[in-house]
This record gives sequence, C-alpha cells and structure tokens, in this order.
Amino acid sequence: MLPLLIAIANSVYLGLRTDQFLGSENLFNLIAQAMPLVITAIGQMFVVVVGDLDLSVGSLISFTTAILALDAPGYVTIPAVFLFAVLVGLSNGLVITRLNVHPIIATLAMQYVILGITRILRPVSGGTVPDIVIQSVGGSLFGVPMPVFWGIAVVLVAWKLLHGSRFGLHLFAIGGGVANGTPDAARNFGVPDRRNILLAYVACSCFTALAGVFLAGRIVSGDPNVGLLFELDAITAVAVGGTQLSGGIGSLQGTVIGALVLALLSNGMNLTNVSPFIQTAIKGGLLLLVVGLQTRKKMGL
Amino acid sequence: MACLVEMSNISKSFGGSKAVDGVSLKLMPGTVHALMGENGAGKSTLMKILAGVHQSDSGKIFRDGRKVGFETPREALEAGISTVFQELSLLANLTIAENMFLGREPVTAFGTIDRARMRRETRKALAALGLELNPDVLVSELSIAERQFVEIAHGIKADASVFILDEPTAALNAADVEVMNAQIRRLRDDGKAIVYISHRIDEIFGICDTMTVLKDGKLVATRPLSGMTPDSLIALMVGRELQDLFPARGTTSSETVLELEDFRIDPDSKPLSLHVNKGEIVALAGLEGQGQQQLLRSLAGLYRASTGSAFIKGKALPLPAQKPSGIRQLQARKVGFVPEDRKEEGLFLGLSIAHNIAVGLSSVHGELSIAHDYREAIAETMTSMNIRASGPSAPVGTLSGGNQQKVLLGRYLASGLDLLLIEEPTRGVDIGAKAEIYNLLRSFADAGGAILVLSRETVELIGLCDRIYVVHGKAIVAELPAETATEHQILNAALSA
Amino acid sequence: MSAIVKHPFLQRLLRVPPAYYVFAILLITLWIARPHMLNANIMGIFIRQVAPLGVLVLAQLLVMRVKSIDLSGGGILLLVNYVISSGIFPGASMPFFIGLSLAIGTAIGLFNGWMIGKRRVSAVIVTLAVSIILVGFVQYLSSGKPPGDVPSYLNDIYNIKWGPAPVPVLFWFALTVVMALFLSKTVFGRYVTSVGENPEAAHFSGVPVERTVILAHTLAGFIAAVAALVQTASIAVGSVRVGLDLPILAVAATILGGVVFGRGEGGVWGPFFGVLSFALLFVVMTTFGIDDPGKLIAQGLIILLAAIFYGIRTSRSN
Repeated sequence: MLPLLIAIANSVYLGLRTDQFLGSENLFNLIAQAMPLVITAIGQMFVVVVGDLDLSVGSLISFTTAILALDAPGYVTIPAVFLFAVLVGLSNGLVITRLNVHPIIATLAMQYVILGITRILRPVSGGTVPDIVIQSVGGSLFGVPMPVFWGIAVVLVAWKLLHGSRFGLHLFAIGGGVANGTPDAARNFGVPDRRNILLAYVACSCFTALAGVFLAGRIVSGDPNVGLLFELDAITAVAVGGTQLSGGIGSLQGTVIGALVLALLSNGMNLTNVSPFIQTAIKGGLLLLVVGLQTRKKMGL
Repeated sequence: MACLVEMSNISKSFGGSKAVDGVSLKLMPGTVHALMGENGAGKSTLMKILAGVHQSDSGKIFRDGRKVGFETPREALEAGISTVFQELSLLANLTIAENMFLGREPVTAFGTIDRARMRRETRKALAALGLELNPDVLVSELSIAERQFVEIAHGIKADASVFILDEPTAALNAADVEVMNAQIRRLRDDGKAIVYISHRIDEIFGICDTMTVLKDGKLVATRPLSGMTPDSLIALMVGRELQDLFPARGTTSSETVLELEDFRIDPDSKPLSLHVNKGEIVALAGLEGQGQQQLLRSLAGLYRASTGSAFIKGKALPLPAQKPSGIRQLQARKVGFVPEDRKEEGLFLGLSIAHNIAVGLSSVHGELSIAHDYREAIAETMTSMNIRASGPSAPVGTLSGGNQQKVLLGRYLASGLDLLLIEEPTRGVDIGAKAEIYNLLRSFADAGGAILVLSRETVELIGLCDRIYVVHGKAIVAELPAETATEHQILNAALSA
Repeated sequence: MSAIVKHPFLQRLLRVPPAYYVFAILLITLWIARPHMLNANIMGIFIRQVAPLGVLVLAQLLVMRVKSIDLSGGGILLLVNYVISSGIFPGASMPFFIGLSLAIGTAIGLFNGWMIGKRRVSAVIVTLAVSIILVGFVQYLSSGKPPGDVPSYLNDIYNIKWGPAPVPVLFWFALTVVMALFLSKTVFGRYVTSVGENPEAAHFSGVPVERTVILAHTLAGFIAAVAALVQTASIAVGSVRVGLDLPILAVAATILGGVVFGRGEGGVWGPFFGVLSFALLFVVMTTFGIDDPGKLIAQGLIILLAAIFYGIRTSRSN
C-alpha cells in the first residue's frame, strides 16, 4: 500500500512541477524506461522469496547486450543469450544447493566472472544489435508502443509462475520455513526444496536476460557497463514492493509497483535535473531505508 | 477387530543411550489410547518413529497387517498416520488451504493450481471438525488452538485413520480444551485410532479408553483404563531404582543467595516465591514444560514476560532482564547460567577445551584487557573434573558427551561463582559421567556455592538436591525436603494441583 | 574414496588455507617462466602496489570472523581521497588530514555495525548501499572529475625505502603483526573467535555479541580509512574511480587465506598470503599478457573455488 501512495504522490508532484511529465510521450517513455528494472526485479523476486539474493544480475544484463551486439544474426544470438542465462542460473543454483556455498558469495563471484567475460567480448560500448530486437522494443503495434506488450507478457508469465503454479507455491513454502528458522519445514511436507531453489536461480537469470534483451533494443548497442548496480536497484524495487528479504512473504504486484516507484523516482529526478551522482546516492539511501525497516531474527549476511 | 497399526519390538538409541527399548504397541480402531510415562520415558521418540521423523534401529511396524517403514513424515501421512506435534509444523506465511495441500496440490487442465478445489476440500475437512474457518486465511492469523485443529484437519483430508496428538492441550485454555476433546471423541466415533500424550491426568481419565505406560524406554503395561485409578496409574509410572550415584548431602547455611518474591513467570500466572541458601542445591521439579525453564531463563533475560523482584545476596536484580545483557548482568553478580542444549547454546564445538573454559573467565573483563591463557586454571579444571582428552587444545567436538558436559560445567566452576542456575545437568550423559557430575556439583555447594537446578529426571533431582520446589502451571505448588521426597509424592503434588 | 579423504594427513592438508598453495604455485610459475623478475627490487614494487589491499584485508578478515562482511571500503577510499585531494581544506596539516580520515572511516564503520548488529539488517546490503551513497556523493561533489592533487609529502613517504623494503610494505606488515597480536592476546580477540564459532553459545558464555559485532565493524571502518590513506599516498592524485574494486578483492584474499564467515583458521597470516598471492597473480597475468577482464574472471573464480573448497569440507564434516 505504502509504495502505491508514494508513487501517486510522486506523480502528482511531478505533474504539477513539470510540464513534460503528464505528456503521453513521457508516460510511454516512462514505461520503456521502467521495463528493464521491472523485469529484473521480477526475476530477483524468485530468489528473494526463498530468502536468498542474486547479485550477478547486473553483470548478466551487460553480458546480454554484449552478446546481442556481436556480429552474428539474431537467430543465433537471441537463443544464445537465453542458453547462457540458463547456464548461469544453473551454476549459481548448483553451487549453492549442492556445494554448500553461501548464495551471496556464489553470486558475487559469478558477477565478477561474467563481468570479465563481458569486457573481453566488448571492452567499450558499441556494435549493433539485430533489427528484430530493436523493432520489438522501439516499434509499436496497433498504435500502442511495444514496451506495453512486453510488460503485459512478462507480468502474465511471472504471475503464472509465482502465483499460479505449484513451483511458485513451493518457493513461498521454502522461504516461509527459512524465515521462521525451520529450513526443513517445506521438505517435511514433501516439497523438493533443492530442486526448487535451483529453478528459482534459473528463473531469475532468464528474466534478467530478458531485461538485457529489452535494454539492448533501447540502446541499440552493446555496453559492458549498462547493467552496473542493477542488482541493487532490483533488490530495492523488490523490498519497496513489500517483499520480505528474509523470505516467504511478497507479491508480484508489489514488486511491479516497487519497480515503477523507482522508475518514477529516476524519471522525476531526471526531469528536475538532479545530478546523476546524487541519484545514485538517493537510491542507496532508499535501499538502506526500506531494508532497515524490515526486521530479522538473526544477524548475518 | 483387526488393529490399524502394530508396532512390534521397536528399539532406538541416540548416541549411547537407549531411548526406546523393545516396545510393542497396538492401536485399535475407535479407541483413544493414552501413552503415559515420566519425562524422558520414550513416549515422544516412539511416536516420532511412527510418524516417520525418526527411523527405528530394530523392530517392525505393521499397517493393516502389512509391514511398512517410513523414511519421512510425508510417507507416514500417505499411509494414513497423521501427527500433531507440540512444535507446530504448519507454514505461517501460507493460507490454510495451501498448508493442507502443500506438496500435493491439485492442478487444472491448464497446469495452474486448482484453488477452487483446494478451497472446497479444505472447507470439507474443516467442516468434518465442525469448524468454520475461511480456507484463504493465513495460518499466521490463527490462534494456537486453531492451528492444531488445522493440523488435525490436514490428517482428515489425507484420509488418515491414525492420529497422534502430542500434548494437544498444553497450550490451550479451558474452553479450547473442551472443543479439542469434542473433536477427539468425534474422530473416535468415526472409527479412527488416536494416540493421546498428555500430562493432565484428569483429561486422560476423561477421554481415553486404553493406556500404555513406558518407563526408561521400556514397556511397563498396556491396560484398559476402566480398571485404573489416578493413584494406580502414577504407581505404574514411577518406581525407578535409585542407583548409588549420589554424594552425601552437606550442611546448608542460613545465608540466602537467591531470593524471588512475588515473582510471576507470565503477567497472568500466579505469583511465586523461592529462596536458595548458601551451600544448598535446590531443584525445580515437576512435569515437563510447566514453567521451570521459563522461571530460570527469565532471570537471564531469555524469557521476557516475568515481573516481580529478585535478590542476589540481598541486592536487587533488575527485572525484567534484557536479552542482550541478561547473562552478563548475572555474571557481574557472580551467577552462572548453564544452558540445557550444550551443542547449540553451551559449547564452541570447533574450538579447544581451553577456549571453552577461558571464555567464561575472560568475559568479565573489558574488551581491551589482555586475554590471559589461564593455563593453570584450565589444567586444574581438567584434572579436578577428570576431563579425558588428548590435551587442552583438543576441539570440544571430538570429546564424548560426558566429557563435553564436564567442559561446559568446568567453564562455570572455574569462574569462581557464587550461584549456578543449571538446566539439565546430565542430559545425554552416561552413568559414570553422571556420578562424576553429581559429585562436582555437591563439592561446589560444599565449598560455599549455591545451585538452582531443573531436570526432566525427577530421580536425579531427589538424589542430588537438598530441597525441591514442585512447579506446575507456572506456579510453585509444593516444597519438599529432598531427603524424604519420593517420585510418587512429586508427581502427585504436580498432578493434583 | 572416503577412506582416502579421512586419512589424517590429507585432513591436515585440507586445513591449510588455499592461499599458501596458490602462493607457492604462482612463485614456482614465475620462477620457471620469468626467473629474472624474482629479485627484491622488482618484487618490492609489485608488493608495494597491493599494500592498500593488504591493509583493507585486515578490516575484512575482522568482520568476516564475526560472520559479517564489509563492502563499504570502496566508498570510504573514495571519500578519504576526495577530502585530501579536493583542496576543501587548503593548507591543512598532515595530522589534520589523517585525523579527519580516520574519524570518517570510524564513523562509517560504526554506522555499519549499528545497522548490522542492532538492527540486524543484511550486512551485504547495508555496506553496499553505504558504499554507493558515498561514491555518488563524492562524484557529485567533484562533478565526476578527478578533484586535484594530493599534498606531496604523502607520496614522499610512500616512496621511502628501508633497505630494499618499501615503507608501505613495512607498514602493512607491522599493521598485520599488530592485528595478529590484537586478536590473539586481547579479550576482544577471544570474543571475535567465540562469536564466529557460535553466536548463541557466545551469548550464553557472557560474550556481548552485539557489541562485538558493532566494534568489529567500527574497527573495520577505521582500518579502511588507513587503507585509504595508503592508497591516496600511492596514486598521489585525486580520483573518482580508484579503489572501487578493492573491497571485493579483499573478500577474495580473505577467503583464500582461510577466513570464511566465522571460521578463522587462516588467522591473520592466511589472508596476508592471500594478498601476496594476488600481487603475484597480477604479475603472472601481466607477464602472460592477460589484461583487466581476465583479472576480473580470475577474482571471481578464486572466490568461487575457495568458497566451494570450504563448502565441501563443511558438508563432509557434518
């Protein structure tokens, strides 16, 4: 509820303060701007629901744009992007569930490995992404800009996975046990916990790669730094949306609203000419605030 | 009539000690079967074997005449055996319906969860108990009684015919107990078999048909309840041999070390007073979970609902104690708190014996002071306590249970304290080490220390202590001199309160 | 297989922090491939480069031993660098700069510790958020451009040598000795070990757990400021980018050195060799023509492999 109020207050303020804000151009632009964060945050939510975090998403976005900007046809690069995403998710998940490594350490390490590979593929921004990607992001259908369809499709798929399938319910069950200090609770009900956690990381990586594809379509090139700090924005969006970082509690609509709030905030700060550096600092402060308000039982990472 | 479940010659050991030893049990349809026994007699272990939580070392289980073995609680439930444990297993962040179907959710033709069907069947299972709860309510919003009913409904929905209820009324108020008992009778009339574990003797006689008594993991008797009286039941439960483990009692002085006045464990529980004198070992006895542990823990700030006043050597101890500082507050007053769970709360299993003992000696000093190695004190403790290890640098995790317990006690005995608050001084320890520990505690008291101790083993308290407070329902219901006390007397005092 | 793994000799080998193995392997590699590089002067220069990292690792190992983590070092480094090089305190003396820097680091560390120890917020999130707030703030103040020059005396000190050994390396070594003594000889050190092994048991033995965590973070902030001073002296100019990758390198070196979330088997010298391993790694990679992206991958893989090494070991002992 609170984030929705913030979003409305923010919009009203911007509508009064600036002439551009309420123009349909800015609103559509806003959706396009918000979409990568919305998609990444939804992906991150799969992992947060089981009480973990995935810090490798920022690098994965940069990596995706770099792959798409390679000198190869789209029917090769686009499937390749998702293949790599599945591999990243699988290795994160396997290292965490089978090799007993703390999720934050595993995904932090993954972040650096992917960043390194990305910088080898594309040391500075450049290249061109396939036309089909640019068209599917920048074009419009029946007079409605494409990003709207992206949003609808992503939310439908995520809704099905999180709130409409056994998989999603099992993730919530696992997270509820973890948050309660009884990590075996879900397994005692017969829920295969390790497999579900593994799949949560795969889902997170796939949504992240999708966000990367969208972003590549917007910037029309590959950029090794475009995903920088995206993991923190995604975590902030999830937390603002009311999902508990300790696991088990949260909703898709909350996450979408959380991501929109952050996007609105950026949009508003851009329109009112706030320095990009201050914007970074403000986002950090927001993260600190929302996470500081959630209480946990135990100290830790 | 054929029995629903037969457990035959079941045994189970933990570490070295036998928790269940060759017990057989038959559950008949349409009966409520009371499982009785003192604390630690093996009731819970036996039921956890039936529920698939533990696996037996030997013995067989037959379900409707067929031999079965359960690896997980899930398998037991699928075989129609449903359990409501004291520690609730529902997931509080999910709805009632989601909990009911977790792990076996029905799906529609489109692959989505069939929530309509879940709701319908949940409502039906709840209705079978005469409950009108909304299936979409989160479990976290339910009362404890309602959660237990949901667990029973979970069993009904799974079409269970055997229900294990482990102290279902322990956390309920009188009105809810009535509702619970009505539910149990309803299940019985439907031809189910119910195993009922409770410490409330009036309830047992009110609702059960048959009873089985366990003692020290062994079967004592299985009889119909109709021919029994409360007194004859208690007589079956008690009567363990008092082994020659205990040191002679000492002389106590009249100097009071710990005094509690008008002390309430919870705001609405009865006020209690107690005192412990110098040179005295005092017990908090009674049935399990009657508030002994909360009483002790509230002095250390680990249980917060207490009010009243506490004095240590005449000086007031601020109550309620705060969690982060409670232990240190006691420590500053020369009081040690020895926790029950030595693996989780007591010891640093990966660290050396020396560290485990020295940490108690160090923690009264400021952060920046020099950490002495206390080599002599540690060596002396290890010799005087007869701790068998390769040396002070051996990791505590490599020692036997008895030696671990001695290291834990050694930490407090070496710290020169005046009063020890001890939970379960000999849990999971073999007989030889028990005797050694009793001697150590007695010589601590003889040297001018005082001890307030609680234990599940009433015999231990009678043998070790000077005076016994019987705790029941978060109040002290009797005070007895240990020398003349008997198990029967203590149990009677607790149960008739 | 399991019989081999249980062999006491192999068990002992598994207990040695990987840093020592990695260091030895890299040294042999270098000795075979580029023997002429193994002389005191050249090695001194390479090791001097990692002195700021070495100091920062002391902060990291302290918090990791109480089962926490500190990723705010990058922000502290940048802020200290900005304060000294921006000229906002014209003509201020060296003690003033040092005092101010240390105060900044300590205050940030205290804030981290309070959020993690008292409010129980995730350590990763708190320290990352603090870091990006500081970075954004400094970049805003300097409009994204390097602020200016560092007073020359700092760089002069940095360049002094004592025999073949550069002063920053000696300083790092001395600080490591102090930390080793501090952790082994004070009550606080005993608290740190206890909290790392089992916070619950620590609480029951009278260890002030919250205070220990807060103090460890405060001290880590202080040490990060020291690392920032060494770093600033080494580059001699203001910068808005330098040192942002140091916290993660510090995590890598600490894990490599055998200190992993609560377990301090590597002590202080394991991570010390972890840092030396990174110094050698950079030399080896440079001589083999592998540049920055390769180094990022190596960092990531080292963290991952070291963590897997411990992960497998704990799952086996359970």
